[in-house]
Amino acid sequence: MNAIEAVSLTKIYPRSKTQALSEITLSVDRGEIFTLLGRNGAGKTTFLRISATQLTPTMGRMTVLGHDVKNEPLAIRDRIAVVPQEGGTIGPLTPWDHIYLSLLARGMSRSEAHARAEKTIEQLELADYRNSPSDLLSGGLKQRVRVAMAVATDADLIFLDEPTLGLDAVSRRRIWGVLNEIQKQGRSILLTTHYIDEAEILSNEVAVIDHGRKVLSGSPAELLHNMKERVRVDIVGSGFSPEELSGYGRVVKLAERFRVLTDEKRGRELADEAMKRGSDVGLARVLLEDLFVDLVGRDEE
Amino acid sequence: MTATRQFRAAVVLGYMLSIAWVRRNLMSLVWLFATPFSLLFIITLSTGGRAFTLGVIGSLILILSTVGTGLAGDATYYRLETKLQDFFVASPVNQFGYLLGLALNGLFFASLALVVLLPLLVYVGLPLIALPVVLLSLAGVWLFSSAVGYLVSTFTANIRNGWQSGLLLSVIVGILPPVFYPAEILPYNVLLFAYAIPTTDAALLIRSAMGSTHNLPYWSPLIGGLLIAISLALALAVTSRVARWRQP
Repeated sequence: MNAIEAVSLTKIYPRSKTQALSEITLSVDRGEIFTLLGRNGAGKTTFLRISATQLTPTMGRMTVLGHDVKNEPLAIRDRIAVVPQEGGTIGPLTPWDHIYLSLLARGMSRSEAHARAEKTIEQLELADYRNSPSDLLSGGLKQRVRVAMAVATDADLIFLDEPTLGLDAVSRRRIWGVLNEIQKQGRSILLTTHYIDEAEILSNEVAVIDHGRKVLSGSPAELLHNMKERVRVDIVGSGFSPEELSGYGRVVKLAERFRVLTDEKRGRELADEAMKRGSDVGLARVLLEDLFVDLVGRDEE
Repeated sequence: MTATRQFRAAVVLGYMLSIAWVRRNLMSLVWLFATPFSLLFIITLSTGGRAFTLGVIGSLILILSTVGTGLAGDATYYRLETKLQDFFVASPVNQFGYLLGLALNGLFFASLALVVLLPLLVYVGLPLIALPVVLLSLAGVWLFSSAVGYLVSTFTANIRNGWQSGLLLSVIVGILPPVFYPAEILPYNVLLFAYAIPTTDAALLIRSAMGSTHNLPYWSPLIGGLLIAISLALALAVTSRVARWRQP
C-alpha cells in the first residue's frame, strides 16, 4: 500500500474559481521522501493540504495511508502530522511549550512527550532557546520550532510545506538530517519546496508541478537521465558571443554569465576554448535546477 | 481518539493558550475587566447604587459571553496567522476538542473576574443553594458564545474582520439583551425575541434565583433553563455541520 495515491486529482477553489490542480496522478511510496517541486502558486500547497485532510478535493480520488481523504479523514488524521506553510508561533510560549504541549494534545503520554520533546530540541539545536518566549526568537528559530512540532510526533506520514523557507544553510542542513532520520525509521514524508538543491539532496522521488499540472516525476537521477544535456559550462567574460556559444549547445543567460547546457564532449571542448581565451569557466554535471528551469521557467528567460 | 482523549486535548490546548501564555504575559488578564467593570461602575453611579445587583449580573454574563464571542477574532488569528487550526486538523484532535480548548482558554481569562463577581453576587443576595443552577446557566452562555464565535471565525477571511466580528457579537449577545437592565422594560415583541438569546435567560434565571419576581409573559425559570439548553444544542449542532474545520 502506498503512503499517498492520487488519481486525476483536481481542485477548483469555490470562491475564486481558480483551478489550482488539474488531474494530478501520482503515488508516494511508504518510507520515502517525496518532494513536490514547483514555482510559487504552482499548486504544491494545495496538493499537500488535500493530502493532509485540510482541504477537500473537487474531483478525482486520493487515498492517504490506505484511506480515502474525502470520506475517511479521521482514520488518516490519527497517523499524520503537518508543518503548515508560513505559520507562526504563539506569543509568549517557549519552544519547549510548543513541542511538549502539542504532543500532549495529540494524545501522547507525559513521559513519551517529554522524551520526544527533549530529543527534538537537541536534534534541531533549540536547547539554548528552549525557555525563551517565541516572541523573542528570530524568524529562522520560529520556523525550526514549527518543524519540531511535527517531527517530534510519532506520525507515519509527515507533511512539510516549505519547511526550510527563510532558514540559513546550516539550519537547512540540520533539518535535512532530521528528515533523513525520520525516513530511516520507515516513516514517509511529503515535502514541498522551491529550493531545488533541497529536492535533489533529500528526495527519493520528485514531482515537478506547474500551473496545477504534474509535468514530470521520478527519482532525481531518473529525471536527470532523461535530460539530453549532460553537463553545464558556466562562462564569465566577454570572450564569446551568444551565437558562437549556441554552436556548442543550449545557451542560458544568467546575469553576467552564460551557461551552456550540452553533452560531455562538446562541454570539454568549450571549456578548453574558454580557458584559452582567458574567460573564467566552470564545468559541472547538469543539476535538477537546469531541468526545472527548462521545464517551468522557459517563458521567463 | 476517544471522547476522553479529546477532552484531554482540549484541556492541554486551553492550558497552552491561556496559563502557559499568562505565565509570561500578565497584562492579558487585565483587559477583560475593562468593559464589564466600567459598565458596572457607570450603572451603579448613575442609579445611586439601586441597579448595583443588575450591574453585577450583567458584568458576569458579559464577561463569559465576551470570552466566547471573542473567539471570532482569536480563532481567526490562530487559523490564519499561526496556522494552529491547520496543525490540529492534521492530527487526532477533532473540531470539538479544538473548540473546547479555545473555549477553556477564554474561561481561564475570565476566571479572575469570576472570582470577584461570584462572591459579590452571593453578597448581594444570591442564595448559595441556587449557585449550581446559576453556574450551569453561565456555563451555557459561555459555551454558546464560544460556539458562535468559533463558527464565525471559520468563515472570516482576514484577522481584522475577525476582531470586528467578535466585538459586534459581544454587543449583540452581551450588551443589547436585558442583562444590564430589567427585561420588563422591553416592548413585548422585542422581549420575545430577546428570550431566544441565552444571555437574557441566564440573567432572568439569576434574578429569579435572587427572589426578584418577574411578571414576564411566557417565561419561567424552567422555560429559561430549557431555552439556554436548546440554544446551546442548536449552536453546537450548527457548528458541527457548518463550521469549516476542513476548508472547502
